[in-house]
Parts: sequence; C-alpha cells; structure tokens
Amino acid sequence: MQTSQVPVTVLTGFLGAGKTTLLNRILTERHGKKYAVVVNEFGEEGIDNDLVVDADEEVFEMNNGCICCTVRGDLIRILSGLMKRADQLDAIIVETTGLADPAPVAQTFFVDEDVADRTKLDAIVTVADAVHLDAQLGEHHEAEEQIAFADVVLLNKTDLIQSENLESVETRIRKINPYAKIIRTARCDAPLEEVVGLNAFSLDRVLEVEPDFLDSDHDHEHDDDITSVSFVSETPLDFEKFQTWFANVLQTRGQDILRSKGILDFDGLDERYVFQGVHMLMDGSPMGEWPKDKPKSSRVVFIGRDIENMGLKEGFEACKIA
Amino acid sequence: MQDSLTSELTLNQRRRPSFEETELERRATKLNFGAPVTGSVTIGEGVAVGFGDGNVRIFREGVGYSTVKAHAGVVLCMATDGEHIFTGSDDGKFVRISSDNTVEEIASFGTKWVDCVAVIDGKYACSSGGKAHVWSKGQKKPSVLEHSSTIGGMAFDAKGKRLAVAHYGGVTIWEAKERRWKSLKLIWKGFHGDVCFSPDGKYVVTAMQENALHGWRLRDKGDLAMSGYPAKVKSFAWVGDTPYLVTSGANEAICWPFDGKDGPMGRAPVCVAPSKKQIATCVQALNSESAVFAGFRDGSVLLAEIDESKEPIVIKGSSGSAITGISLTSSLSHVLVGDEEGNILWSTLWAGEMNAKSI
Repeated sequence: MQTSQVPVTVLTGFLGAGKTTLLNRILTERHGKKYAVVVNEFGEEGIDNDLVVDADEEVFEMNNGCICCTVRGDLIRILSGLMKRADQLDAIIVETTGLADPAPVAQTFFVDEDVADRTKLDAIVTVADAVHLDAQLGEHHEAEEQIAFADVVLLNKTDLIQSENLESVETRIRKINPYAKIIRTARCDAPLEEVVGLNAFSLDRVLEVEPDFLDSDHDHEHDDDITSVSFVSETPLDFEKFQTWFANVLQTRGQDILRSKGILDFDGLDERYVFQGVHMLMDGSPMGEWPKDKPKSSRVVFIGRDIENMGLKEGFEACKIA
Repeated sequence: MQDSLTSELTLNQRRRPSFEETELERRATKLNFGAPVTGSVTIGEGVAVGFGDGNVRIFREGVGYSTVKAHAGVVLCMATDGEHIFTGSDDGKFVRISSDNTVEEIASFGTKWVDCVAVIDGKYACSSGGKAHVWSKGQKKPSVLEHSSTIGGMAFDAKGKRLAVAHYGGVTIWEAKERRWKSLKLIWKGFHGDVCFSPDGKYVVTAMQENALHGWRLRDKGDLAMSGYPAKVKSFAWVGDTPYLVTSGANEAICWPFDGKDGPMGRAPVCVAPSKKQIATCVQALNSESAVFAGFRDGSVLLAEIDESKEPIVIKGSSGSAITGISLTSSLSHVLVGDEEGNILWSTLWAGEMNAKSI
C-alpha cells in the first residue's frame, strides 16, 4: 500500500510582511486539518503545539556533481521525521526567512528521493507587504526572487495603501511573474484553502494566464532584471526532441532560469504532460485527460534573468512534430 | 539447523519474485500497532521496537510483549547497552527505559528534536541539532561537543573509547583524554548520516545523503568511496569474521569485505539475497550462520549466506509495506520484523523450536 504524498507549502516573504500572522492563523484556526509548520526561530510566544518544528535553515551542497544542487539539509531530516508520525498530516508548511534564497527549499523536493516519495511541493507562497514591496524590490534581489518563484503572492496590508498605488504594485509583481496568483489581503486573512493544499502546484494557471501584455509592455521604469516568457503551440510536440532541447536548456542556462513550468501535448500521448522546474532540476509526468471543451495545446513558461536572449522560442518551435 | 535451511529453500524457490506467505509467517505472532516501526534493538532474550507514536514495545520469549509510553512524539532513534533502552524523539526528550519498564528522562531540549543516540558500556550520548551530549560513568553533567551542522549519526567504537559523529562535510572522531576531548576530522563533501566503526575499530563508514557509503581507514585517513547504489543506504550491519559490511539500498544485500590491509578498496562487493525489483530497506546480521537478513520495500524478507552461489531463504512474503526493523534475540531463537505500517512479526527463527504463538 503506497502512502499518499503530503503536500508542502513553502512560505517566503520579507520580515514584517505578515508571514507570522499567517502561520498563527494556520496553527490556531479551527480548520479541522492537521498542518505541521516548520519555522525558523518562532519567537518568544512559544505556541504550545507539537506540530511546530524548529528548523535551522541549513543549506547543503549535494555531492552529486550538479553545481546548483543546494538543498535544505535540515528539511530532509525534518520531513522524514514527520513521515514517521502515527497520524497522517493534511499538509506541511515550511517557512523561510526573508533574506533566504527560495531555491534550496524548492530543490529539496526534486533531489532527495525520500522527500520526493512521501511529500510533494504544492506551492510557493510569497507574502508581500503592499506598502513596502516597491522599495524592497529596488533594494534586495531576494525580494525580486521571492516574487519570481511564487505560485501565489499574498499581497498583504492592502488596507494601508491607496488603491492607485496598489494597482502599480500589482503591475510590478506581474511584470516579474505574470503566472502567480495574486491575493489581496489586509491581515493575511485569505481563506486558507487558497494558500495551503492547492494541489498540482497550481499548474493549471499556466494555461489560464494570457500573458499578452508582456509583449506590449516595454516600460522600463524599473530595472527589474527578472522577466518571463511563454510559448504556445497548437501543433503536438515530439517527446524526444523536447526532452533533448529542454535538458540542454536547463543544463546550460539553469542558473538564470528560476522557474519553468508547462503543460504539453506530446504526439502519441493521450494525457496532458505537465512539468515544473526550479533552476536546473525538473520533474514531469503525464497528468490526466485534457479538458473536453478546449482544443489541445502546449504551453511553456520560463521565469528568470536574461530570458529573452536564450533562443528559447526557436528551440521550442523546433520541438513541433514535422 | 542446517536441515531446516534446506527444506524451506525448496519450498519457496518457485515462488519468486513476488514472495508468498512463508512457513515462518504461519507460525508467527502477527500484530499491528497502527504507527510506523522506526527501529528495533536486541535486548537480552527480547527485542525492543520503537514506534511513530512514542511507544516502545518489548517482546520477550515466552512472556509476550509490554508497552512503554516513552515519548509524546515519534521515537526517532534508539540504542541499548544490553540492559537499558535509550531513545530520542521529536518531543525533544532523551530517555532511558529500565528493565522494569520505568522511563527516566535524561535530558530535554525543548522544541529541538533528539535525532541520534549512541550507547556503550558506561557511556551514552544523544544529539540535538549540531550538539552531541555525552554522559560518561561517574559524571553528572554531560560533555557537549559542538559541530558546524546538524548531526546525522553517532556511534561508539567497540571499546567505547572513541565516538564518531557524522555531519555535513564528514565525520569527527572524538576521544576522551584525561577529561579533555580530542577531535580528529575526516572530510568528505556532502551530508553524512548513520555512522559505524568496523568491529576492529580500524575503519569508519557513513551512509550519505546521496546513494553512497563513504569510509575512512583511520590509520591514514584513506578514503573509501562505495557508490553505485540505486537508492539511499538506510541500514547496515557487520556480519561474520571477515567481516562484511552488509548494506541496504540496492535490489539485493551488498556486502563489502573488510579483511586484509585495504578492506574493500579496489574490490567488488558480494551481492546476495536478490529481489528482482524491490530495494532493500533494512538488513540485519545472523552471525551464527555468516548470513544476513534483507528486508525489502515490498515487505518481503530474505535470509542469505554471504555466498553468491547459495540460494536465499524466504523468511517473509511480500506484504506491501517497507521493512523498517529486523532484530533477533541474543540466543537467536526468535526474530522480529517490523514495517512502516506498524506490522510486527514475532516468531521462532527455526521450525520445530518452541512456537512463538505460545506467548
């Protein structure tokens, strides 16, 4: 009997953005779910809860020849410990400190087989302070990366900002990462089911978002260097060609590609093939039927630095079947 | 004993690779405790088992089992000095269980987990985060040995003079010299988990985060890279007089020879107890027969001599849940097998001996 994989939400965001408020809600609200929370120095309050785990944010390099394989060593240990519990957890939430690079946490789920067997990365949720995000994006590249990595951005403290400023903050988030779902909140009061246990890493959004405005928006008032590209094909793709091209892209440009995701229509495969990657690591598998009401198509998304100059479009085009 | 070995063999030979219920299983006591088995140790004529719900259960020949509530959380690690059982847990506590089943708290680390324990006559140690706490005979306060990362494993050598502590980047060997601790660093990139000394104390071996073992010859810090495993090595045991270091992590038990001047350097391992597709998750020595038990991800357990020309015996059939503990009583009369779904199999090892069902 194979135990099901427990979804893990990675929670990022700068100090003061509201992560602790959200964690407190997860721990104290009567949601009827069993959530374990992995935190760094939970502070003095000392919430008496056996589901709060203290972590040390230890970033380890793997000895496997992959230069960007840094993982959270403490997390491997903690997740395998949590999997030995007698009770089944509904989800695990992992908090990272504001200045931490989210990549090692995400990579842990690709690299360690025990972690990959028993848990799955559900979503990266970034809590952003609507009032201060603009300044933080200018000052810390970590802030920009946290937005770029996110599947969900909780835009918090929206009650403290004027609506036109809020629009401009959202525009800036969308410029870095048009595929993240933005939830506006005042005190992190978003429904928990929109944050935890989203299932499938919100990959469906890859198909939903129409990132056309990217092409028309050439307004370079900020020097945001993280951008995104996406390509669509109505023609089915050749599996072999795609594998070869994609592996090569990740191998040679993986340092600059923060996230990659896609839903693909491979020639000869009835199911949708979905994948997601973090830097050089990716994971893909067939995942269910295509929706009946829409034509099949393939879409890939890349978020990263210098992404326009990687020849990605030409490479993707060349994967179409002849 | 050899007779029963042969007869069981012919009985089970045709059933591979998916192993069916065995004669040993039919005569065994089978129980389910609803929480994963996290480890097991031999304690005299009994076996102690740790569970994911904080319980430790002690099975004794002819007596049945007793349950000791040792922790509020998962029993993460356990060890024994032959008399007491020492356990650590994610409830932050390091405890000692006496032969009358009393639980005594040795130390508490609050919200920090107790990840590893090591015990030898007169000394016991536990780790929490990067600190190893070592209690020596006659000392009330432990010595605290600090490391730059979380500790992945700890082990004393057979004489109890040295303590090996595995961590990120290698192993530190600690030796107590007139109230001062002297350290020797063995360096190898990557994270090191479980660690052990060879029985003669000449080698130290770790199971790494990657699918590999790493060893050092202590005389000259010579490196031994034992790689090529399809999965992580989660369990190892020293077997026989050679001795062999038998390991899990492949679809058979991989046995590295540690005889001669150079041990396994430049030599191929002996591979026994093959299971076509399943990965071994737990191994245990049967020293009287120079043989090894290998437990697999599908719940099957094979017993094989360390000789590739001999056929293994099927001890337990495929039940579907990965084996996480195999232990024998000191007299080798009984064997206990535990899995990650909380199933326990407790049986006489050889047919014809006193039936375990009588407990």
